[in-house]
Amino acid sequence: MQQQGGWFQRLLQAGRGHGGMFSALLWAVGLLSLPALAFGADVAPAAATEYRDIPYIGSRNLVWVVAQLHLLLAGFVLGVPIFAWLCEVVAWKTGEKRYDKLAKEFTKLLTSAYATTALFGGILLFLLISFYPKLMNYLTDIFFPSFIVYCLLFLVETATLYLYWYGWDAMQDGHKKTFHIFLGFMLNFFAFFIMIVPNSWATFQASPVVLAEGSDIARAWAATWNPTWWPVNIHRLIANVVLGGYICGAYAGIRYLSARNAEERDHYDWMGYVGNFIGVFGLLPLPFAGYWLMREIYQYNQQMGITLMGGFLSWLFILQAMLIGVLFLGSNYYFWLGITYRIPGSELKYRKSMLSMLIILLLCLGVWMTPHSLVASLEEARKMGGTHHPLLGVFGVMSAKMTVSNLMILVTFMSFIMYWRAGKEETAGWAKAAKALMSALLVLAGIAVVVLGVWGYFVPAIIRINYFSTSQVMIVLFVMLTITPLTALLLKSAKTTTEMVWGKMPPRAGYALVLNAIMVILLMTLMGYARSSSRVHWHVYGVLRDSSQYAFSPALGYAAGIMALNTFLFCMIVAFIFWVATMSDKAKASHS
Amino acid sequence: MGNVIKKLMIGLVVGGALVGATRAFEFPVIFQMMFFAYAMLGAVVFMILDAPALTPMSGLKSVIVLVVFYVVLCTVYISGASMWPQYDPEDEKGKIAKILGPKYAATQQGKAEELIARAKALDEQTKALAARLKALGGDQAGKDQAAGGAGASPASSGAATGDFMKLGEEQWQLQECYNCHKLKGEGGKKRGPELDNIASYLSVDDIKQKILDPKSFMAEGFEKEYEKGKMPDKYKDLMEEKDVVALASWLGTFKNTSVNTPKPIKKK
Repeated sequence: MQQQGGWFQRLLQAGRGHGGMFSALLWAVGLLSLPALAFGADVAPAAATEYRDIPYIGSRNLVWVVAQLHLLLAGFVLGVPIFAWLCEVVAWKTGEKRYDKLAKEFTKLLTSAYATTALFGGILLFLLISFYPKLMNYLTDIFFPSFIVYCLLFLVETATLYLYWYGWDAMQDGHKKTFHIFLGFMLNFFAFFIMIVPNSWATFQASPVVLAEGSDIARAWAATWNPTWWPVNIHRLIANVVLGGYICGAYAGIRYLSARNAEERDHYDWMGYVGNFIGVFGLLPLPFAGYWLMREIYQYNQQMGITLMGGFLSWLFILQAMLIGVLFLGSNYYFWLGITYRIPGSELKYRKSMLSMLIILLLCLGVWMTPHSLVASLEEARKMGGTHHPLLGVFGVMSAKMTVSNLMILVTFMSFIMYWRAGKEETAGWAKAAKALMSALLVLAGIAVVVLGVWGYFVPAIIRINYFSTSQVMIVLFVMLTITPLTALLLKSAKTTTEMVWGKMPPRAGYALVLNAIMVILLMTLMGYARSSSRVHWHVYGVLRDSSQYAFSPALGYAAGIMALNTFLFCMIVAFIFWVATMSDKAKASHS
Repeated sequence: MGNVIKKLMIGLVVGGALVGATRAFEFPVIFQMMFFAYAMLGAVVFMILDAPALTPMSGLKSVIVLVVFYVVLCTVYISGASMWPQYDPEDEKGKIAKILGPKYAATQQGKAEELIARAKALDEQTKALAARLKALGGDQAGKDQAAGGAGASPASSGAATGDFMKLGEEQWQLQECYNCHKLKGEGGKKRGPELDNIASYLSVDDIKQKILDPKSFMAEGFEKEYEKGKMPDKYKDLMEEKDVVALASWLGTFKNTSVNTPKPIKKK
């Protein structure tokens, strides 16, 4: 166990404690004794350095901040191309030029965003090599072949990005546009692999598969295909879409708040709508991916699952519930504002539905935020006969949480459908039957989710996890996959009764978009902390111990402070990227 | 404004009713407060849905407002996270020290540091003894020695047994056995059997074998858990021999026949 930073810190502290004279003497002695090192080196080989540290900040905090910023930026540069490509495809298919403009506006960010992400990646790598040489040696030994693949992927991704961005204007018509769309697809294809290769390194740390024998490639492949690799890949892919959508929404919100004319207000109001839509679109299946990940963690190592859900990290999930709850409320609120302000006359029609949905969302949030073991004073615990309240304790278990998360997804989906249908009158002959079918589906799905949730209390955990919870997820997915195309068909022949009016949203809509983006970023930082802390005092769970002075997990309050700092720094970096990327446009606009 | 006051009043009434109901059900105070907060949050969302528009801002003013907005959000977030029950990192530090301590002591550097520490302690004791001898004289020093002073023999065998049992109990906590096994009315019992009467069925050696090789015994009624290998097969790597013996010996003292500990079936 080597703590190279320890003696240095002690030296500094000693120097502070006894004045400069003592420090100066120590330095002088140190300098004079330097030649002795040459002789000493022959005496005994120095033990390999395992850890280094830096004073004041601490190596872990510094790595934490830089790694989190790199990860958030990576999420941004992987999420934005998906977002931009989807918009470009919509423009290509519908002929609506504003979608193409929006896609281009966001692709423009990518070159500077890629450079910033790579910069933070480089800093992170240097810090890891310096502070955690033992761990990095171990990981390099296992993953050397995938390091090479990663470098190659960067080369093709960068080349594709240059072609995609610089070829935008040149490839606007006919087959050229088709090729440009193909380039956008390839950009996302390579980006997906750029995401999943480092995911294998991170997930290996949590659920390692170590082959004692075999070739380098066989060992690397076994380590890559570890039990949590694919759940994390899918979870991060969806989360990146959510991040891309909400960041777009926040950007639009800020620009909307500072818009100088009606044209800008219209454009950024519409951009906020698209960003929020894509964010919600990704948000709806995200809890399912999270559920799959937790299930795999439990199956890989029950102890790790218990540490996360029932051990010292269990309160972290109450904080997660709070953030997701606010995100759901914020997204729904934005939809409701849209109905109220963009579609005049709809607010009275949908007011009761909004109130009902708000009440359901709040009730669900209340259940989701109820912990398993309650915060109770000794007197309160005595009154309840333990730390589990007979009524509240029922809400603290997984069955209740799965039920309310599915209900919240259903409610948000209803908000979206309501917004979509507002201001339109269905003319198809089968419209009445279709609407009745959709209502019946929603009601039945809601009842089925609640029934399965309640039933889940009376069956063994394995049946609940494998059948009941999975059925709840399938029911909600079925509803979404049935009602979405049915509504699209219904509205194809619908008559528009009230035209959507852009640029009329009140400024608080902009704040709601900023709020949503902050919640998503905080959530990502929180889950980073959860993933890292679930390994407790292991670098690689069960294989390589963390024997540094920072092996313990920080308390939640302290961690929340670092998360808030990371979120702030990330927002500042993204704001800088937006500012740099739009600088030339502003100059052009002022000249013309 | 009238609309806002109306919604605020509705929020307060609903919040008050919720507090009344939660008090009747004897919910902890924090939950009474949380239910009131939910009602107010709902009222606020509905109030700002059709509240009058704010004055548009631009330039530095808008940046300041956004930063203030962020600071408010983060203050709520950090305060919320700090108000939850916090686990104490010192607990984990203690656990890590206990796990890594023996491993570190076994290294050359650890051995050298231990020798230095012991030499220092002996030096301190010698100095203290010399000081007392000087102050009290030779007779008194002889009495001290007879009464178990600095030169007395090491702890009695009874105390050593007590320490050994304490080490066993410490291992129970350290390896977090309570997550799956209930003992003395504490801990889980869904994944593994209650162990209060384990000594009626298994000897210390059997318990030791079960810890090191979870497939060696299967508890009656825990067939599925046994098949799935619910008990981790990691303790042979994680624990020192003396720790396993201490834990097994400690568990070997539990013979509470009033608890229905399932019968273990030998498998290997």
